[in-house]
Amino acid sequence: MDKAKSMIDKKGASGPFHVNNCQSQRGFHANGSCCSSNTFGSSTGGPNSSTFENMHHLHRGDDAECNGSPAKRCRLRRRTESLRRSRPPFPWFGMDIGGTLVKLVYFEPVDITAEEEQEEVENLKSIRRYLTSNVAYGKTGVRDVHLELRNLTMCGRTGNLHFIRFPTQAMHHFIQMGRDKNFSSLHTTLCATGGGAYKFENDFRTMADLELLKLDELDCLIRGLLFVDRVSFNGHPEGYYFQNPSDTESCVKKTCTLDNPFPMLLVNIGSGVSILAVYSENNYKRVTGTSLGGGTFLGLCCLLTGCETFEEALEMASKGDSTNVDKLVKDIYGGDYERFGLQGSAVASSFGHMMSKEKRDSISKEDLARATLVTITNNIGSIARMCAVNEKIERVVFVGNFLRINTVSTKLLAYAMDFWSKGQLRALFLEHEGYFGAVGALMELLKTTEDP
Amino acid sequence: MAFNGHQCDDESIDEDETPTKQPRSNKEMPGCFINEPNNEAAASAGRATSDRRTSNSTARQRSDSVKKTRPPFPWFGMDIGGTLVKLVYFEPKDITAEEEQEEVENLKSIRRYLTSNTAYGKTGIRDVHLELQDLTLCGRTGNLHFIRFPTHDLPAFLQMGRNKHFSSLHTTLCATGGGAYKFEADFRTMADLQLHKLDELDCLIRGVLYIDSVVSSGPSECYYFENPTDPDRCIQRPYTLENPYPLLLVNIGSGVSILAVYSESNYKRVTGTSLGGGTFLGLCCLLTGCSTFEEALEMASQGESTRVDKLVRDIYGGDYESFGNMMSKDKRESVSKEDLARATLVTITNNIGSITRMCALNENIERVVFVGNFLRVNTLSMKLLAYAMDYWSKGQLKALFLQHEGYFGAVGALLELLHPS
Repeated sequence: MDKAKSMIDKKGASGPFHVNNCQSQRGFHANGSCCSSNTFGSSTGGPNSSTFENMHHLHRGDDAECNGSPAKRCRLRRRTESLRRSRPPFPWFGMDIGGTLVKLVYFEPVDITAEEEQEEVENLKSIRRYLTSNVAYGKTGVRDVHLELRNLTMCGRTGNLHFIRFPTQAMHHFIQMGRDKNFSSLHTTLCATGGGAYKFENDFRTMADLELLKLDELDCLIRGLLFVDRVSFNGHPEGYYFQNPSDTESCVKKTCTLDNPFPMLLVNIGSGVSILAVYSENNYKRVTGTSLGGGTFLGLCCLLTGCETFEEALEMASKGDSTNVDKLVKDIYGGDYERFGLQGSAVASSFGHMMSKEKRDSISKEDLARATLVTITNNIGSIARMCAVNEKIERVVFVGNFLRINTVSTKLLAYAMDFWSKGQLRALFLEHEGYFGAVGALMELLKTTEDP
Repeated sequence: MAFNGHQCDDESIDEDETPTKQPRSNKEMPGCFINEPNNEAAASAGRATSDRRTSNSTARQRSDSVKKTRPPFPWFGMDIGGTLVKLVYFEPKDITAEEEQEEVENLKSIRRYLTSNTAYGKTGIRDVHLELQDLTLCGRTGNLHFIRFPTHDLPAFLQMGRNKHFSSLHTTLCATGGGAYKFEADFRTMADLQLHKLDELDCLIRGVLYIDSVVSSGPSECYYFENPTDPDRCIQRPYTLENPYPLLLVNIGSGVSILAVYSESNYKRVTGTSLGGGTFLGLCCLLTGCSTFEEALEMASQGESTRVDKLVRDIYGGDYESFGNMMSKDKRESVSKEDLARATLVTITNNIGSITRMCALNENIERVVFVGNFLRVNTLSMKLLAYAMDYWSKGQLKALFLQHEGYFGAVGALLELLHPS
């Protein structure tokens, strides 16, 4: 109790705690006065005021007191010291609730001592086990094992960072699971970004008694991206580009890091597209966006071909020929449109052949899928290029789950940037594609820079 | 056969004794071959009215000088696009009895065929409401007719040209658009006609500036929308394109070209997009089973795109995404063809609007003129564009439209015939 009180007085602990108040406070108040409703420097200000509550893992819900054996007090002291580094209680999650997919990053500590393990509450342990011993969850949840970052140090702890995704449509199942596993009793902050953080905020509260700390998705995106690039991908560079993108024979993937990343044009292709000009970690602007993104691709594909999933759509697209569907410059000019440097093979009118019945009858679903992919991708490329020129930025980084397992689009974008700019612009890609928002959300929870 | 009409001497259409109703000064004869290079389409100067009369002798002097450089009839300008062929035809109304007598039969027959019909074959259409009457071009007075037919039917057109012995008229056929290149050989082999190929963007700009300058009665050629999103208060208002430069010209045909125009002869193609009118029609045909542009528009006017698109509401406050709801099977089943047509129209239009806005910003141009046949009978897209320009630029950008939408290339080609640059 005394120790607890003394900790409360130590307002100097670095870093704020963005903690949702209500529920957790209630949980605390049940135990008496200990560390209740103290506000510890809330920094960037989530909408909620901060409450110092990392006493949680000393209290374990119903355990009232911190009194006890000297050993216990010793543990307490150690924890206190680490708490000075403002470390939130486990579990550590970052969540990005997008229009189509929910991206979840989970930090699995691997430096848990025997002691810590003993004290660990059951549901926390069960969550950890559930997440790390499966690669699929329910019908649609997937853990991208190949993206796991191993032996990462975050906030003084060492562990593995896991990357999990599931369709936003399954969100209610997820929330239900959170309820079933009594997640709210863990009193952790759930840092969430993306539009769904707003859309599902109430559901989290009513269904699972969880309060979300809502974060801006673009802030998180940039923060997450820079972090992963810094810590590297298990010793390998996170970034890559294509050399000779215009040449199918010699086109080769090359890795790179984002040295001196600024300024960069960041094109985030999710359900929709956002384009940002980034001048430094904290200085960026959203240049524009387009509504023709990954969601359009999938939606149109479903309509045109009857497919149901992104993977199916891509599978079909990989086998199709879009030139049967699109009207090319040579279909109109009979060759190149030399005056303005438009090659005969350039697309003049996407889906332009489809106004002719004979053509419609002669193409396949695969052709349609391919044409949809090419149309959406080229449109994004074109807009990105215009922005790069406007903003005078040469490096264009493409992220977002539209590019997941989508080599067709990746190469097309690389080609488009290179070709239309006559080699002035370079397209870069990152392995963790769509997860940066979630990583950024996790970092906000930890509010720490990478530990050496 | 490769005759430049200007040097034609075997005049079966000899006109020099025709006292024409000519405007007095050279500056008021846009399009005519006169030595001053800048009388052409000067915005304020080019009013080609027909109420000036000159004495016969002056007329004859003038007609002599003009005759040397005036091509023989018929006068056509042609723009062979990816989807449509646009044809402008000048019908002389000042033909004297003599001239008529001497007129060769096939020329007469061509004139009669074109002017006494408003539909040709199954798919050819003359847009009567766009006809410009009492126009003076190159010393002759007449009506300018606007005709279109699908590029798909060009072979039938060529056949007709062959049947009417068009080639014996030894006129130059000035043509622009991609098809002028693609079908050049066909013109030659099927109808014995040589095309004088012209660049489509040169013709476009020339045509736009000319038409705006000569339309003197009836609705203003150029207009904009006031209150574009308020169906009760939205109205068309005339706009004068005087001092038009600089101008962003967005040509929405099968595909889209965006030009920054600084003066009549100084422009650049800023960019383009392949998501144009052809995309709208192609996608609509696939998604709804319709087969014509008019059908597609009809459906779109009845649909509701919000069921198809994921709205801001659905996600939260970012971009709304087109067709995003269609990933879900039950949503797909609850949506109608009309909704799909609408969503397609809205998507294509907004994409064009978005790209246009970026260009305007980049080029520092505030005035945007939209042309091209995607906008034909397509008030929905025009209003969307008007709204988008206004809204996203907070009133800085103005969207302008022109009555003759997709015909400017053909007009420019005709002007090249009469006034070679």
